[in-house]
Amino acid sequence: MALTFFPLMRIFRSGRTRKSGAFTRLRCSGCIPAPHSFSPLSLNTLSPFLPSQVTMTEDSKTPSPAPIELKGVSKQYRLGFWLAKKVQALKSLDLKVDSGQIFGLLGPNGAGKSTTIKILMNLVQASEGTVRLFGLPPSDPKARRQVGYLPENPMPYDYLTGREFVTLGAQLAGYDPKKTKARVEEVLDEVGMTRSAGMQIRRYSKGMVQRVAFAQALVGEPRLLILDEPTSGLDPVGRRQIRDIILHERAKGTTILFCTHIIPDIEALCDHVAVLVSGRLRKEGSVRDLLTTKAPAVEIGLEGLNRGQLESLTGGSAPEAIHELEGRLLVRVKGEESNTLITKIIAAGGRITQVQQVRFSLEDLFMDVVKDAGYKASPGGEIIG
Amino acid sequence: MNAFLALALNGFREARRNRITMLIAGFALLALLMSTLLADVSVASIERVLVDMGLAGMSLMLVVLAIFLSATQLGKEIERRTIFMVVSKPVSRATFILGRMAGNMITLGVLLLAMTAIFWIELAVMHCPMRSQYLAAIGTLYVELLVLSSIGFAMSSFAGSIVSAMVTAGIYIAGHLSGDIYRLGERAQNALVTGVAKAAYYFLPQLDRLDYKPHATHLLSVSGSDVALAVAYAFGYSGIMLALAVLFFSRRDFK
Repeated sequence: MALTFFPLMRIFRSGRTRKSGAFTRLRCSGCIPAPHSFSPLSLNTLSPFLPSQVTMTEDSKTPSPAPIELKGVSKQYRLGFWLAKKVQALKSLDLKVDSGQIFGLLGPNGAGKSTTIKILMNLVQASEGTVRLFGLPPSDPKARRQVGYLPENPMPYDYLTGREFVTLGAQLAGYDPKKTKARVEEVLDEVGMTRSAGMQIRRYSKGMVQRVAFAQALVGEPRLLILDEPTSGLDPVGRRQIRDIILHERAKGTTILFCTHIIPDIEALCDHVAVLVSGRLRKEGSVRDLLTTKAPAVEIGLEGLNRGQLESLTGGSAPEAIHELEGRLLVRVKGEESNTLITKIIAAGGRITQVQQVRFSLEDLFMDVVKDAGYKASPGGEIIG
Repeated sequence: MNAFLALALNGFREARRNRITMLIAGFALLALLMSTLLADVSVASIERVLVDMGLAGMSLMLVVLAIFLSATQLGKEIERRTIFMVVSKPVSRATFILGRMAGNMITLGVLLLAMTAIFWIELAVMHCPMRSQYLAAIGTLYVELLVLSSIGFAMSSFAGSIVSAMVTAGIYIAGHLSGDIYRLGERAQNALVTGVAKAAYYFLPQLDRLDYKPHATHLLSVSGSDVALAVAYAFGYSGIMLALAVLFFSRRDFK
């Protein structure tokens, strides 16, 4: 029991106490358990004890603004010498990320994921709509003070050493100068870069650059982390480390917006996901809900019957798929139809070799959404004029 | 350390570790040292050769460096996408521009000081005094570099590196001819030519007002009030250029 409560105590202890006082709060948020745990700080053990999305503030009457809120956000880029060509990168996007969530942003190339992130980070200005970070517009440096950002394919100043770059990140983030040195060493250790921190970044491998860029995102102790492809370019060990850091950050109460093409990462880490296709939001919800909306299927392996016999047994309701594998048949049917079919197969003289529930994955969901949206690959957005 | 200071010192560190900057600086110092050799083969006095060569060498090298640094820096940051991790921090774009500009001015200032020290040593070795005209020429050169850098930043806040460098170099040349352009307009019979020449005169920086090298070469007297007026004008011009740079840069999207 003591072991079960240990992470719980750590989370409450690590509730932020910032120098400004404005953020002083006792909070435990993001308590939706991740589907898989990769870290001792994973919150799987806490779910029986805590309601999801708990945010306790000193003044409970004033709800704290959401870390990210977008309402009707559109973005058109103008291209060409006379800026005559218009590309619609985002169209009327509404998105809200609550405190403590790990929110995954999924979408094919040109879906508008990076544009969304760039609008949030004040790198690009929205053509229409309202964007708020903790209730403030992204152009307000106070809003960005609370955000750590890791861009896709980060390019740090290569003439600096890793340590100098992270220190610069802390200085620009307005971190307390007296604590900067210790904090820089702490985050370098966290990303496994302490030994190489004295080397110039131009000598780093891609994975090392990714880690040092992650360190600069973490160094200001942000309340919100925005990560664009954080595991790209990393080997499996590096990916695992980064995933552990993300879970560790969530355990500390940090909200994370996470954009990647690696769907298993989203499935493993995120508790909420949004799918963008061609600049429009096509699907949004908790990962758990989205994965259970579709009825589970059952895969039945059998011998002793041929395809024609099997099809005659299934009658009016056609199975989702039938595969022939070296004298065996593999049929996929809806969960509620499996018992009836198994009974019919045995009665017809067939032999059941395997019965397995097929889990609906996020990748299946993603492919369904992309297919439903009639997506045609047009990287960079939809040309509208 | 605040963001402005962090950016300025980082700019200086970048210049120190940049091979091109160091190459230009090294070449300038070498050229300055070589001017003593020319004194032996010239019919002019040693002091005249040292002053001509020294001030011209300083001016040429530092102007090239100022154009290179100011016109290419923002473009390079955007092309390499290093800017993503700076502008996304709680730093306003104005602070970014001013911090970068300050970094450049520190670099140019340190190099100018190093060159001045060598120039002074050369004069001392040849038993020549350091005159006020020389100091006026060196001081106004630094102000001229400030004007050029601000033009470079204003250009590169919306244009690419090559275009910015070419336009800044063009404005440098035209700025030294601004007085001639005005006189050309006055003498012209055509009203249109007069109007264009006057407009160009007011638009271009009057860099000839900051050029005290002839005073140093011919040992002409330097009026303090003229220098103060020229410096005030240069600060005003730079301020307008930097305001434009901030305005353009604040509206720019980084795709």
